[in-house]
Amino acid sequence: MLPLIARRLVQLPFIVLAVYTITFVLAWLIPGNPLENPEGRRPAPEIIAAMEQQYNLSDPVDFYFSYLGNATGISWLIGDAAYPFDLGPSLQQRDWTVNEILMDGIPVSLVLGFSAILIATVVGLGAGVIGGLRANSIADVSTQSIALIGISLPSFVTGAALLIVFAAWLKWFPVGGWGSPSDLVLPAITLSLPFAAYISRLVRFGMLEQMATDHARTARAKGLSERRVAMRHALKNAFLPVLSYLGPATAIALTGSFVVEKVFAVPGIGQHFVDGVLAKDLTLIMGVVLVYSTLLVLFNLVVDVMYRWVDPRIELT
Amino acid sequence: MPKIILPFVALLAAVVAAMLLDRPAPRADVVVAQGSDCFTLDPQRMSYMQDLRMARSLYEGLVRMDGQTAEILPAAAESWTSSEDGRTWTFQIRPDARWSNGDPVTADDFVYAWRRAIMPDTAADYSGFFNGIQGVPEFFTWRSKATGDYASGEVHSPEAAEALLEETNQRFEETVGLKALDERTLEVTLSEPIPYFLDLCAFAVLSPVHPATVEQYVRLNPRTGMLEQEHGWTKAGAHVGNGPYQLKRWRYKRDLRLERNPEYWNPTMAAADTIEVRCIQDPNTTVLAFQAGTVDWVTDLMAEYRADMSNQMKAYQDKHSDSLKTMLSQGLELDEALSDLPEPEDGERRDVHVVPAFGTFYFSLNCRDQLVGGRDNPLKDPRVRRALARSIDKQKIVDLVLRTGEAVAETLVPPNSIPGYVSPAGLGFDPERAKAELAEAGWLDRDGDSILEDPDGTPFPTIDFLYSTGEPRYRDMGLAMRDMWSRHLGLETALRGKDTKAYKEDLKGGDFMVARGGWFGDYGDPTTFLDLSLSTDGNNDRGYSSEAFDAMLAEAARERDPERRMAQLSEAERFLLEEAMPILPIYHYATTYMYEPARLRGITRHPRLEQNLWALQPISDR
Repeated sequence: MLPLIARRLVQLPFIVLAVYTITFVLAWLIPGNPLENPEGRRPAPEIIAAMEQQYNLSDPVDFYFSYLGNATGISWLIGDAAYPFDLGPSLQQRDWTVNEILMDGIPVSLVLGFSAILIATVVGLGAGVIGGLRANSIADVSTQSIALIGISLPSFVTGAALLIVFAAWLKWFPVGGWGSPSDLVLPAITLSLPFAAYISRLVRFGMLEQMATDHARTARAKGLSERRVAMRHALKNAFLPVLSYLGPATAIALTGSFVVEKVFAVPGIGQHFVDGVLAKDLTLIMGVVLVYSTLLVLFNLVVDVMYRWVDPRIELT
Repeated sequence: MPKIILPFVALLAAVVAAMLLDRPAPRADVVVAQGSDCFTLDPQRMSYMQDLRMARSLYEGLVRMDGQTAEILPAAAESWTSSEDGRTWTFQIRPDARWSNGDPVTADDFVYAWRRAIMPDTAADYSGFFNGIQGVPEFFTWRSKATGDYASGEVHSPEAAEALLEETNQRFEETVGLKALDERTLEVTLSEPIPYFLDLCAFAVLSPVHPATVEQYVRLNPRTGMLEQEHGWTKAGAHVGNGPYQLKRWRYKRDLRLERNPEYWNPTMAAADTIEVRCIQDPNTTVLAFQAGTVDWVTDLMAEYRADMSNQMKAYQDKHSDSLKTMLSQGLELDEALSDLPEPEDGERRDVHVVPAFGTFYFSLNCRDQLVGGRDNPLKDPRVRRALARSIDKQKIVDLVLRTGEAVAETLVPPNSIPGYVSPAGLGFDPERAKAELAEAGWLDRDGDSILEDPDGTPFPTIDFLYSTGEPRYRDMGLAMRDMWSRHLGLETALRGKDTKAYKEDLKGGDFMVARGGWFGDYGDPTTFLDLSLSTDGNNDRGYSSEAFDAMLAEAARERDPERRMAQLSEAERFLLEEAMPILPIYHYATTYMYEPARLRGITRHPRLEQNLWALQPISDR
C-alpha cells in the first residue's frame, strides 16, 4: 500500500505539469485580449499597454514560468514572492484574486459533487440489486427504463424540469441560490441522475453474474437464505466495478457540474471556469486547472487505496 | 461489506457539516436579480451599467442626477459656483458629509479619487472623461511615457520607482487644474468651458473614495514603476463608502448585500433597509425565481422571454386602457395606476415593463479606403453607404425580427432624451433613391448579368457582414438585411458570425464591411453619442475620418450660447446621418424589467434610464 501511495505522489507533479502546459498553450491561443471588456467603451492604448506590463501578458514564456513559480510556491521558497500558492488576480473580475474565487467556489462544488455521488451510489445500488435479483420483473424493467432516461437526458433538461415541478409548482424547494440544505436537494439530484443510472446497470449486471457463480451455489447449498447469499456474497463482488467507476465519476461530477450550476444558480467553480475561458481570463483558467488536476489525481489515489482495502487480492501499480 | 460504508458515511457527514456552516441571512427588503455580477466596486475602474448603479448607492459624488427628471441636484457638494468664463468651478462640500466609518468627506478625497482615475496606472476605462480638465491630457501622456521609459530603462529599484512617483505627484499638483483649496472647497479648472460639466460630475466614476482605506491596497511595482491597485478594500468589512448604503456582503458571482449607512447625512434618502443583489445567469431560472417571489426586480429580462411576455402585458393594458387613461390624466404615475387595476387574468400580466433606454443599436459601415488584405472598399463612398442605409426597412426588422416593440432609430441620440436638442430626420426607407444613389456612385449592371459593376467592370464585392454569435437576434437581423440588400440593390451579402472576443478583434482591426455595434450614452449631452465619430476617438471602429465633422464639433464646443450650441450639434448629427452615414442606426435600445407594480416602486422610466437602488421601495401587502 505505502509504495503505491509514494509512487503516485511522485507522479503527481509531472501529471499536473503536463496538464498545465497543454492548457496554457490552448488558453494563450484563444483570440482576444482578456483586459478589454467585450462591449462598450475601450480604454486608451496606453492603458492596455500598462496593464499588459503589470499582468506580465506581453511574453508567453515569461508568463508561463512566473505564474507556475507563484502558483506552486517555488517563487516563495526562493524568496521572489511574498506568499506561496498565489494564483494571481483574475484578469476579468479585477476585484477578485483567483485564490479568493477558488476558496469561495471549491467548497460549493465539492459539496454538490460529493452529494451527487452519494445519492448516485445509494440509488444506483438499490435499483441494481432489485433488478439483478428479479431480472425482467416489472420493477426491473421500470428502474432500467428510468436509468436509460437518466443516462440519455442532458442535465439542463432534467434540471429545468425538476425546477419547474418541485420549485415553481409545488414550491417544496427554493428556485436557485445556495446556502441552506434545501438549496442542495434539486441540483444534487440532477447531477446524480446519470451516475445513478450507470451504477444501477453495473450492479444489476454484476448481481446477475454473481448469483450464478459457484460460490453462490455453495452458499445456497450450505443452507443460507437467498437474501443472505445476495447481500453477503454476491453484492460484495458486484460492487467492485462500482468502486472503480467512482474514481472517474467523482472527477466528472466535480468538473462537469457547470450546467447544473448555471441552471440552479449554484456559485460553484464549474460556471466560473466556463466564464473564465470565454473571457480568456488566463490567471483564472490556469488556477482552476492547477487546483483541479491536483485534486483529481488525489481522488483517484483515494479510490485506488479503497479498492485495495476492500479487496486485498487486487494488485495496483 | 460494512467497512466500505465508512467512507461514505464520512462523506455524508462532511457534506452536512459544510451546508450547516453556510448560514443564510434573512430575506432582504428588496431582492434584485442581475444576469451578471458587478465587475468591480472601485468607482474609478467601473464601466458596466450594473457597477455604476451599485456605485450610486455606495458612494456619493459632488452632485447627483435625479432619476425621474434628469435634473442635477446637490449631493456631497451643497453648493457650487462657476467663474465668468465658465472655466473654473468651485464646489463646497457639505459639512455633514461622512464616510461610513465616521470620517468627514473632504475636498482632498475628491482630488485623490480623480487623480486615481486620471493616472494611466489605474487603467480606468473612463480616464478619458477627465480630459476636459486643464492639464490632464498632457499629464496622462507624460506619465505613460515616464513609466514606459522606466520599464525599458536600466534602473529598477523601489527607490527609483518612488522617486518617479514623487515627481509624478508634484507634476500633477503643478499642472493639473484640480485643487483642494481647503478641507471643504474643491476647485476645478477646465481648459475650455463644458456646458454639461455638472452632468459629468454626477457620473459615478467621479465618486470619491476613502484614501486611507484604498492606500492599504496600493503598491508600487519596482519592475514597472507603476502603482498597482489591489482590491481587498472593495470587500465587505473593509469597504468604506459615503453613499446611502454600505456594503454588508459580497460573494463572487453569487450575491451582494446592502444595508443603510448610518453615517449618511440624509437618512430619508434610502427607501429600503436592506437590498440584496443576486447574480443569476440562467434566464429561465431568473424568471422562475421572480415568479416564486424570491426576486422583486429583474433588471434585464433576456431576449427569449421578451416577445411573449410583453404581449401579455400589452393585452392587460389594452383591456384596461380606458381606466388607465383616466387615472393617468388624474396625475397618477403609471405604476400607481397599474396597481390600482384588477389583478391580471390568465394570459395577461402587468409585471413586464419595456422601457426605452439611453442607447442605440446600429451597424458600423467600414469607411476606410481599403479593406483588410488590400482590396478596394466600395463603402468608402458615402453614396454607397447611404444606399445601403436607405434600402433597410427598419420597421420590418423591429416588428418581425425583434418583436419586442423597440423604437426604430434614424438617429444616434435617442429623441427627446436631452432637453433642448432637436433630432434630425435621418434618411428613412427609400429603396428607389437607394438604387439611384448606387448608380450615381458608378455601380450599375453593365453586362446584364444582374451583378453590379463599376465603370472598369469590377463587380461589387460580396458584403462582408460581421456579427457576434452570443445572441440569436444579430444573425436574424443579418438574414433580414441580406434579403433587403439583395432585393432592393442586387447586392450579395455573406454573414460571418464570430464569438464575442474574436468579433471584437475583427472590429478593432477594421476587418469587416458591415458590423453590428451599439452605444449607450454616459451623460446628458449629444456629444456622448457624437464624439464616437471624431477621427481621433478610440471607439471609432468605422475608420470614419472627416475634417468637416471634426470642425463642426469643435465649433460647437466653443459656442457659449446653449441654444445655438444645441442647433450646431443637431446640424452635426444631420450631416453625420444624412450625408456621411458611417453608422446605420436600427433601433433605440429598450430594457425589459420585471417587477410587480403593486409590490415595488421607485423604478424610473425617464429616457436617460438611470436606476438607483436607494430609490427602490417595497410596498407591504395592502
